[in-house]
Amino acid sequence: MDAGPNRFVRLLSICAAAPALAAVAVSAAIVIMGVTSDTPPFWRGGSLTLSEAAALHDQGELVRLIASGHDPNAVYPLRANVLAVRALTPLEAAVGARRPEMVDLLMRRGAAVDPNAWRRLHCFAMASGAADVVQMLDRFRPAGSETSCVGISTPF
Amino acid sequence: MSVPRLCAYACAAILASSVSYGLLRMPLQVHDSLDEIIAAQQSPGVWASFTSTIGETTYFRPLRIAETKLLFDLSGGHYFAAYKAFHIALLITAFALFVGALRVETRVDLAAALFALIIFTGLHTFLGLVKEGYPVNHFLQVVVLVLAAVRLSKARGSRWIDAAAIAAFIAACLTLESGLLVWVALAASRLSGRRGVSDPALVAMTGLLVAYGLVRFVWLAPHVQGMANASGYGFERLEGSQIRERFGAGLSRFNVYNVLASMATVLFSEPRSGVLVFFRGWSLGDVPPRMWINVVSSTITTAFIALAILSRGPRLGAPKPLRGEGGRSAETVDFVVFGAVLAASAIASYAYAKDEIMSVAGVFYALAAFWAVRDLMTRGLSAVPAVAVALALLVAGSGWAVRTVGVNHVLRAQAFAFHNDWAWIPEDMERRGTWPLDPSTRKIVIELRDQSIAMPIVNPWFVSRWADRVFDIDYF
Repeated sequence: MDAGPNRFVRLLSICAAAPALAAVAVSAAIVIMGVTSDTPPFWRGGSLTLSEAAALHDQGELVRLIASGHDPNAVYPLRANVLAVRALTPLEAAVGARRPEMVDLLMRRGAAVDPNAWRRLHCFAMASGAADVVQMLDRFRPAGSETSCVGISTPF
Repeated sequence: MSVPRLCAYACAAILASSVSYGLLRMPLQVHDSLDEIIAAQQSPGVWASFTSTIGETTYFRPLRIAETKLLFDLSGGHYFAAYKAFHIALLITAFALFVGALRVETRVDLAAALFALIIFTGLHTFLGLVKEGYPVNHFLQVVVLVLAAVRLSKARGSRWIDAAAIAAFIAACLTLESGLLVWVALAASRLSGRRGVSDPALVAMTGLLVAYGLVRFVWLAPHVQGMANASGYGFERLEGSQIRERFGAGLSRFNVYNVLASMATVLFSEPRSGVLVFFRGWSLGDVPPRMWINVVSSTITTAFIALAILSRGPRLGAPKPLRGEGGRSAETVDFVVFGAVLAASAIASYAYAKDEIMSVAGVFYALAAFWAVRDLMTRGLSAVPAVAVALALLVAGSGWAVRTVGVNHVLRAQAFAFHNDWAWIPEDMERRGTWPLDPSTRKIVIELRDQSIAMPIVNPWFVSRWADRVFDIDYF
């Protein structure tokens, strides 16, 4: 019955090598997918709009899009599940996603707010309960802006 | 070259390609990197860069500064390409030296080598070798130099081998403090019977080691004492000021904790940079799968190594002549070198625990695992133990495989973080008062920013939620 002292060597070798070979195969797939496609592996989102970049904390993409000519004050579509609405300006998206640093970055990269727009954003931030966003907006408050939110509607 | 060895190199090449791809998709980092590139641009030459920081800072890493300058000058304006090419060259060399350190002659050896390869790549201490996007990744450079030195210790001795070993030691010490591990690895190899590097060469290196100690701990003592690195302790991470406040300025139980934590992180993947992340998660009732994967795969592998060492018993110290190992078996020597490097790295971490400091020990852990797994497979087990070992190999191996693939996940997350950091240039530099006055330097910074920003980076929002729970993350 006994095939000798090394009868289980093949079984043990397979158990040691199989997971490693699986890792090597996945690694090879990552490289192949990377060199045969314009987009990186695992990229399932496609291109971001400027408002999506603002909502999803993608500071690098936001700067890249503005540098390539996108208007930081325009309205852009948002795909489902990013925020509760399907289109916002980048500043509205940053406020809606409660991202004060994105508000800061947008203001430094060409976004502009007049007193009325600032008031709407301020009320949007107040309604979302994001004190840090309210504070950030205060730093860019145009002269003559009101803070009353009576009669102001918010995107969501 | 034998077919099994060729297969091992082929698999290593694929793993290295995958990690290299991740490196190419990752911008250079801003913090601890951009200032060095600016300094390289402003430096009049490589030698001036080499001497520029000596005696000026806590650290003694002049070769790294000089290399940054050399690559800058050689790049012809293609800075990203130059620094990434150097990083990838070091990475490929590390993989090649690691496979070269394994004795792969049979199919069984190949199976053990593949197991060791995914430990080499999957262990969290490997992450520091790739996720840090410095112009020159000094952790990786030291790993390469230690592996090269050990390779020299196996060679047939000659004056050229001695000279190369001394050069490796000097280069490592001038790159990073943990470069001293070259001496540790060579001394342990010699004491275990390897004769590639001669005794006079080791004596010369010991003299250089003493000189290094005088420079580091006497001349630079004021800087060293002023170090205030953050570190983990128990479930929390403490800032330098908090550490001094809680434990005082001298040696304390905090230093003992750091040494033990640093050893444990290699052997059990816990704690991470001193923080007991697994037990913290346990106490909070949420241990994500990645922590189970890390701890289980490491613990089983450490058990393999312990079993291999203990079962050798008296043989560990007894002569067992094998070709090229000068009186002791190759596995015995590698176990001794692993122990020495692990102990020395842990002791060097007495001031603060940082996983990157243990990266050389992590490499030798993988090497020890190779011998342990090979030993288990060839020991002639009966049915029940064999099935138990097979299951343990499968469980641990699967964990290491996930960890290996997870390196790409960490690199992708890191790329997103670096991409975002570049978005704040030049505002961030203006705020810190480091925005250069020289127009040519400003031009280089803006070029680097524009190149980095232009890279397509995956937003983590589009990555499946399970990935963050299964693959490892950058804790600190």
